[in-house]
Amino acid sequence: MNLLSGLLEMELLRIWMKLSPDFRERLGLLDSTLILDVPLGVISRIEKMGGATSRGENSYGLDITCKDMRNLRFALKQEGHSRRDMFETLMRYAFPLTHSLPIFAFANEEKFNVDGWMVYNPVEEYRRQGLPNHHWRITFINKFYELCDTYPPLLVVPYRASDEDLRRVAAFRSRNRIPVLSWIHPENKTVIMRCSQPLVGMSGKRNKDDEKYLDVIRETNRQISKLTIYDARPSVNAVANKATGGGYESEDAYPNAELFFLDIHNIHVMRESLKKVKDIVYPNVEESHWLSSLESTHWLEHIKLVLTGAIQVADRVSSGKSSVLVHCSDGWDRTAQLTSLAMLMLDSYYRSIEGFEILVQKEWISFGHKFASRIGHGDKNHADADRSPIFLQFIDCVWQMSKQFPTAFEFNERFLMTILDHLYSCRFGTFLYNCESVREKQNVTERTVSLWSLINSNKDNFKNPFYTKEINRVLYPVASMRHLELWVNYYIRWNPRIKQQQPNPVEQRYMELLALRDEYIKRLEELQLANSAKLTEPSSSPASPSQMVPHVQTHF
Amino acid sequence: MFSLKPPRPTFRSYLLPPAQTDDQINFEPKIKKLEPVLLPGEIVVNEVSFVRKCIATDTSQYDLWGKLICSNFRISFITDDPMPLQKFHFRNLLLGEHDVPLTCIEQIVTVNDHKRKQKVLGPNQKLKFNPTELIIYCKDFRIVRFRFDESGPESAKKVCLAIAHYSQPTDLQLLFAFEYVGKKYHNTANGINGLPSGGGGGGSSSAVGGGQGPQTPLFETYSDWDREIKRTGASGWRVCSINEGYMISTCLPEYFVVPSSLADQDLKNFSHSFVGRRMPLWCWSHANGSALVRMALIKDTLQQRKIDQRICNAVTKSHPQRSDVYKSDLDKTLPNIQDIQAAFVKLKQLCINEPFEETEDKWLSSLENTRWLEYIRTFLKHSAELVYVLESRRLSVVLQEEEGRDLSCVIASLVQVMADPYFRTITGFQSLIQKEWVMAGYQFLDRCNHLKRSEKESPLFLLFLDATWQLLEQYPAAFEFSETYLAVLYDSTRISLFGTFLFNSPHQRVKQSTEFAISKNIQLGDEKGLKFPSAWDWSLQFTAKDRTLFHNPMYIGKSTPCVQSHSVKSFKRTKKSYSSTLRGMPVPFKNGIISDQQLLPRRNSLILKIRPKPPQPAKNQNSGMEEYFQEWFSKPVDLHGILLPHLSATHIKLWKLCYFRWVPEAQINLGGFITAFHKLSLLADEVDMLSRTLRQPRASPGGPCSAERDQSRMYFQASGPHPHSTSGTPEFLSSSFPFSPVGNLCKRSILGTPLSKFLSGPKIWLSTETLANED
Repeated sequence: MNLLSGLLEMELLRIWMKLSPDFRERLGLLDSTLILDVPLGVISRIEKMGGATSRGENSYGLDITCKDMRNLRFALKQEGHSRRDMFETLMRYAFPLTHSLPIFAFANEEKFNVDGWMVYNPVEEYRRQGLPNHHWRITFINKFYELCDTYPPLLVVPYRASDEDLRRVAAFRSRNRIPVLSWIHPENKTVIMRCSQPLVGMSGKRNKDDEKYLDVIRETNRQISKLTIYDARPSVNAVANKATGGGYESEDAYPNAELFFLDIHNIHVMRESLKKVKDIVYPNVEESHWLSSLESTHWLEHIKLVLTGAIQVADRVSSGKSSVLVHCSDGWDRTAQLTSLAMLMLDSYYRSIEGFEILVQKEWISFGHKFASRIGHGDKNHADADRSPIFLQFIDCVWQMSKQFPTAFEFNERFLMTILDHLYSCRFGTFLYNCESVREKQNVTERTVSLWSLINSNKDNFKNPFYTKEINRVLYPVASMRHLELWVNYYIRWNPRIKQQQPNPVEQRYMELLALRDEYIKRLEELQLANSAKLTEPSSSPASPSQMVPHVQTHF
Repeated sequence: MFSLKPPRPTFRSYLLPPAQTDDQINFEPKIKKLEPVLLPGEIVVNEVSFVRKCIATDTSQYDLWGKLICSNFRISFITDDPMPLQKFHFRNLLLGEHDVPLTCIEQIVTVNDHKRKQKVLGPNQKLKFNPTELIIYCKDFRIVRFRFDESGPESAKKVCLAIAHYSQPTDLQLLFAFEYVGKKYHNTANGINGLPSGGGGGGSSSAVGGGQGPQTPLFETYSDWDREIKRTGASGWRVCSINEGYMISTCLPEYFVVPSSLADQDLKNFSHSFVGRRMPLWCWSHANGSALVRMALIKDTLQQRKIDQRICNAVTKSHPQRSDVYKSDLDKTLPNIQDIQAAFVKLKQLCINEPFEETEDKWLSSLENTRWLEYIRTFLKHSAELVYVLESRRLSVVLQEEEGRDLSCVIASLVQVMADPYFRTITGFQSLIQKEWVMAGYQFLDRCNHLKRSEKESPLFLLFLDATWQLLEQYPAAFEFSETYLAVLYDSTRISLFGTFLFNSPHQRVKQSTEFAISKNIQLGDEKGLKFPSAWDWSLQFTAKDRTLFHNPMYIGKSTPCVQSHSVKSFKRTKKSYSSTLRGMPVPFKNGIISDQQLLPRRNSLILKIRPKPPQPAKNQNSGMEEYFQEWFSKPVDLHGILLPHLSATHIKLWKLCYFRWVPEAQINLGGFITAFHKLSLLADEVDMLSRTLRQPRASPGGPCSAERDQSRMYFQASGPHPHSTSGTPEFLSSSFPFSPVGNLCKRSILGTPLSKFLSGPKIWLSTETLANED
């Protein structure tokens, strides 16, 4: 563990530490006096360590566990009882909800020249997809969250299904999360639908409306093939869910559907897996048996299963084999992972910075991924069983894809890391609350700033220089352990020994070359000016630099 | 001139490679079909028609029909069936698309599925059944499978036996290179071809690029060594010729470098005491005067102390500051060659294991269990520590190893790659391999196991290439070459045509080829043995265009085009770049010999301590090294100075291009690092072009597009006649590029991504927008 000494300061948003001058010198730091900067939102747990009688250096103080894979330990002097004040203040501001205080985002008065809340407009997004069309309509049935309180107000459903049909279907789907359209293939018109599990229960209940509804979905494109249902869960879990009233679509009830289980584990398994990852990377990296330790966390195995599931969804749809319905239990964790990743593979638009923001806004935020419960914003109950790194896992999958396709994404690694940092920071309203109905009640868009305001007003920082815009190319990552890697730059970024080269040397070299090119072009232009100055001399050469420069430029 | 005309491509190419000028000249409709184009000296031993080459295990839909040929050089599959699914192939001029050189064959398995029999074929073995199937396991991890359902059973059997026989020769002189080079000499005698040129290890070795670049020094001559001494600025060292005609040792080169203070007579006297008479050989000197030296063990126990003392004193005298000698006993600090071989065998098993899915669950721990990455790390770590000793402690380093021709090759080369930017250029890297491997007597014949007598096999050369790749991966702008170059270099060790990787020592080449020449009635004249082609003559294997793929677009060379401008930095290696890293580092020792013992704990040392222990306790030196590394890593990297590897377990990676390129399941279509490489190349090419234009403001009317274009060092060019050089990612790119696994056996479809995906690649919808882009 590294020891530093200095002055600890705290603001409403963050704690930070100023190094004492002698340490600054020892570390060779000249300007950056700020050595530690922790948003309070990232704090998961605060504990006192040692007591008034503790002996030994650094045995008395505070222990802080963070949500972003690090722990902090502040050793304090025992004299003066400063710790109690500090502890209480920290507790109050790190966990405002527990203390009936507002979350920091509501006090944040940052101004940006772009309004991130304007990024996602569902009507526009559906219009981009070519909706509504002959087979699909936009319904406002959920305008006041009456059909389903965790769905957005605006939904896309089959043209042939009436609002009355939808209500009857909702009765048969867990938490009324009926099958609605997420994405439509622009050419073969197959679709990706999302929903929650059917309420089959132990008795094997059936619902004629639900059965008919799925058949209507199947028939929206001219294909006569079966509708493919991907149940994200392991089949055992799906069966077990019958005991609590859930279940899956049986062959008898849905003869025109084909059901596959994708074997993705639940939120509890993922949480434990990430905990193990932390154990092997923090505070020290498990060097001697790194790969087998990594394997024993199963983290990459879970990543592989999620990606594999998404690849299958994307393949079904892009090959035009059939439309796809995706669900898990409630349809807000694994389902969101699968639909959004499949859409990222299928639709190059989502691989741009704005497109990705829309994807997150649409598939995650508007469709009710329970960010508040999964992250526990401002809540001190760190052991809450509802917490789980589902969104982190999704971002990890995106990172894996960006590693395999270095030119396919407009955004860089920093973009993904910034999203994750503000997933916890509570500086922006973007990830607050569990669903749109609550956000609307809290007036989030008016009272807080969107994360996309920060990002979109500094877009250049988040751009991947290798990005090659390509239209309609489907990306199939290889979901094999041979290619999946631990995201070292994220998970091990707090370890000073594993310092990665920042920025990435390949990117850095590219930027240098770009600068060199601009320099040369400038000089060529100067030369050209100098040449044209010599107009007195009748030039017969057709290839003056003036003609070459545009030739070069046309390419970029 | 030994002008081997690149043979015409054996088969019609259905692929998209850029048009070659020589192709255009040779273009004529072929009348005779399914006939191989043979190299000089190549003879077809046996052949069988109506053979099916299997592409996938679960369907015969993609199989190819053709003729299977066994020659004394390769097995060749000639087909008229195009490979419609394969979009690109990096073409080797010596080998057809489906060819496997005999020296690349690892194991031959014949199967009869009616009788449910299977047999691994050794040389001179009988086969009691008619094979319905032949599976070739290659040393480069390829698996090639042929079916004989429609072919004559007897001729199928004969071909299998011929392959088994010719791929496992009993004698070195039966390797194809001899036949090839013999034919060349005969042709010379008949006045058909010119005389071969260049050194014995190989002919002239032009640079990889299009033009006439610098030649690779082969270190066969006095002057090459002399130039290397001057290049490094070493003083106190001289070239020694006592081994001319291999009079002293048959495993040392004829010329090598020794401390000036040792007279020839001394060396002759000492030589008897060294294993293999391998006395100390100078490898390289740091700008501060510290030298890197390698030697074998002193077997004469009585003389041991005395000789060791004399040697160390001589090395000390050759140091400008008379600094001490640091000895590193490699046998005690590194895994041995058997361990390394065992690790490689496990790695190979893991990579080719069928089916693909089965190895997935335990992939990471299985990879760890091979220990391959651990060994790579160990070698990198040890080399980095020696760089510290040479640079920061300013001590000369003596590598000691039993014979001094295995582990020493790896460590000596890695130290130089890290410490001297010259060895990170293509010519420099090749000269390093000549100096520390070929001339230093690395036993390529035994270690590559060209004669299939497995007990001496060990992949040390690959280990070195892999370790170099790790450095390239960590410092991508520090190397002139690309990872493709490293992979192709590795492949060249298994083409038995070049003299470079064929022998156990320079002497063996002379001896064996002289014998061969006599038996074939070839007049050698004054030459010392036959002149085999050199692997460094890349034009034998690849067209100028394909060779541009060896160039790393990120490399910031000294030759980086720079305008006469103050703002564009020119990169020059100066002494400053060395001394800058030495700042504030005291030289801790004066005189006295220091061994590994003080840096790294080890058992018994042969090192004699003349003086009592130096003042600092061992712990301090260790922390000195820690401090050195810490300081180095805290600063921005000087790509033309010292390079030290990151050694954390998270930094040492598997070299996927090398080990996965033939595995269809592991291929990322339209992805992989190559797609970024492509973008970089376009930009680097444009920068080159601009810089040329700037230097010649009054360019010819064609501008940079015609003659200038040929100068491009990039494979992917910013603009040009080729349809794929538009700014989008070319469709043929994949993580295996420029290799294509499609012709090889694909075992099973991977989860989620059906086989057809690997074969046909992702579907691209033709919308109006894409069509517009193609214009």
